[in-house]
Amino acid sequence: MLTPRFIPLILKQVYRHRTRSILTFAGVAVAMFLFSAVQAMQSGVERATRQNAEDTTLVVYRKDRYCPFASRIPQSYEAKIERIPGVAAVVPIKIVVSNCRTSLDVVTFRGVPKDAFLEAFAPGFRLLSGSLIDWERRGDAALLGDTLAKRRGLKVGDRFQAAGITVYVAGVMHSDEAQHENVAYVHLDFLQFAAGSRSGGIVTQFNVKVTDPARLEEVAAAIDAEFAADQEPTQTSPEKAFVARAAADVVEIVGFMRWLGLGCLLAVLALIANAIVLSVQDRIREHAVLQTLGYRGHLIARLIVGEGLVLSLGGAMLGSLLALGLMSYGRFALSVDGLSIAVHPQVSQFVQALVAAGLLGILAGLAPAWQAARREIVTCFRAV
Amino acid sequence: MKLLPFDYAVRNLGRSPMRLAASVAGSALVVGLVLAAGGFVRGMEKSLTVQGGHDNVIILGAGSEESIERSQISGGVATLVTGAVPGIRSRLGVPYVSPEVHMAAVLKPDRDSTAEWTAVLRGVTPTAFLVHPQVRIIEGRPPTPGQYEMMVGRLAAVRLGAAADQLALGRTLWFDNRAWTITGRFEAPNTVMDAEIWTPLNDLQIATKRDTTVSCVIVTLDDADVGDVAAFCAQRLDLELAAIGEAEYYASLLRFYRPVRAMVWVTAVLIAVGGLFGGLNTMYAAFAARVRELGALQTLGFSRLSIVISFLQESLLATACGGLLAATLALLLLDGLAVRISMGAFALTLDDAVLTMGLAAGAGLAVVGVLPPLYRCLRLPIVEALRTA
Repeated sequence: MLTPRFIPLILKQVYRHRTRSILTFAGVAVAMFLFSAVQAMQSGVERATRQNAEDTTLVVYRKDRYCPFASRIPQSYEAKIERIPGVAAVVPIKIVVSNCRTSLDVVTFRGVPKDAFLEAFAPGFRLLSGSLIDWERRGDAALLGDTLAKRRGLKVGDRFQAAGITVYVAGVMHSDEAQHENVAYVHLDFLQFAAGSRSGGIVTQFNVKVTDPARLEEVAAAIDAEFAADQEPTQTSPEKAFVARAAADVVEIVGFMRWLGLGCLLAVLALIANAIVLSVQDRIREHAVLQTLGYRGHLIARLIVGEGLVLSLGGAMLGSLLALGLMSYGRFALSVDGLSIAVHPQVSQFVQALVAAGLLGILAGLAPAWQAARREIVTCFRAV
Repeated sequence: MKLLPFDYAVRNLGRSPMRLAASVAGSALVVGLVLAAGGFVRGMEKSLTVQGGHDNVIILGAGSEESIERSQISGGVATLVTGAVPGIRSRLGVPYVSPEVHMAAVLKPDRDSTAEWTAVLRGVTPTAFLVHPQVRIIEGRPPTPGQYEMMVGRLAAVRLGAAADQLALGRTLWFDNRAWTITGRFEAPNTVMDAEIWTPLNDLQIATKRDTTVSCVIVTLDDADVGDVAAFCAQRLDLELAAIGEAEYYASLLRFYRPVRAMVWVTAVLIAVGGLFGGLNTMYAAFAARVRELGALQTLGFSRLSIVISFLQESLLATACGGLLAATLALLLLDGLAVRISMGAFALTLDDAVLTMGLAAGAGLAVVGVLPPLYRCLRLPIVEALRTA
């Protein structure tokens, strides 16, 4: 370890070669910006798809169907599902999306019955503007997620059209879950008829709450068995598993980006190593002078490693803060098949970036530090 | 102005083999990234741009202009439009009118498999081959109606994430609790159809319980234009139809993917910028060691401009080597590589424009990477430069 009294010396060394240090900071900042962005995306995927023991929601979808338009389940299934043991509540939902494809700007309408919405969804939302009474009263009213409203520049009182459906913005709400932030909630019967295609009495899916999370799979199997021989057989899965399956393309892309994240870390290692090597080469004589003055080889080595640490931490702080700030402000989400996978920036990712950069900074400085420590004083003076 | 000889720049490259290797590797990486990003964007653009004639018009449900998969119209529209709109192309009495069902579906390799593949199915009649001349059967035969058969596109395996042999002729895929036999393979290069699976229209309608409805009717026009078809749609309000040119529809899809393309470019640029910063650091150090040499050259009568030109030559040579290496590897490994995206797949395309852009990026890197450190070294007075240790 290095005693704090040497920190000013390290900082002076960094400051002496301002151009080199700035270029190294900037390079590390860019690499850690990408790394943090990838981490935020992966965190979003994990949050949306990883089941935990408290999950109590099942999604009942039409079997062998992918796009919300293709999943057409009779609303009459609701009564049968309610009677299955273990089911606490059933909410029929109709989903209409502007496009089934994956992109950043998809509009998703979710039609739910008024009562079910007020009971099951509204408690989890914070109304930012407008009123729920207004939403209840008007047939064509929509309650927009905050992210969707900002992206489309919409406010209460506006009318907007997407996917061939025109709605009135009755309110804007905020939810901690990305699924709700990126959608417009409308009345089920309105959406069934606005969507056309003889959708009366037809829904896209049922969200089912179970009484006991431990019985999630059992209830799912019971629901599928109930409708196995029906006109529209179902496929029921826990909500997170449903998201993972439906958003498989997005999950795959984000998984692939893990390699990009690793590449960024390697780039950081190369940048710091390059900077340290150049710095050590410039200061061979200076190190010899320090050794003459009584600085031991291992202390010089620690000074060099410390320099690498400062460069890496400085760049990582800048890059990671920028990335997480941008992700938080932009509230990006990849939408596919009516689902949203939000990019999820967290403080822990900032800490992760610092730790990773710090370790890499130390690692990058080890080889040149070891070399510098082992050089003989005379050899150093002769080398210049 | 007396210029430094070109072989001076060439010989200087060999002074530090390690530094040369680092420059070549760094520029190869940056150019390679630009080529990969450019190939991705170009491939996507080509697959969503109508090739050849722009005579096809899509008739679909009003409000579904952004996504055919959401559309549902009466199957009788095909007959109605043939009679109501004069000027539709025909051959030997067969009008170029193709009713189609487009849908995303979940397929399985076998009945009990837990693996699920999302595929884009298109239910067609034989007139689809008239309306889509880009489609060419490369193996086997078209599927026969009533037999639950399928024909797979060249990139369908990539779209499904399946091995190519799992979609070989004679294999079966399970959809809607039924086995569908693969009877043929087709190709439709640089179109979205290349990643689709085609089935007989009636079979798909029955399997998906669509009665007689279809997603769209695609017509190829001869003397008529889009306005004539749009007028027909406007007259038949009861059918709730809309007409859109096929080129316009795919252009809107391309616009839909703009954020994805932007993300790819931003990532490539950020990585290139990161590489540039590292390269600049190395350049500053390399040039700092040659300050005395620069002073000596000026003493010999070479102007600063001629020195700049010589060093630019040096830098351009190194990055050109890296760029050519990257371009060669990219053409061998990336060109034609199939990439899966939601509801489709396309092949990376490294055409002339992309290659030019990549090599230009390498040249830009050479210029940007050398000028700032060179300026710093050359601004010193000659005497001071000669005194530098």
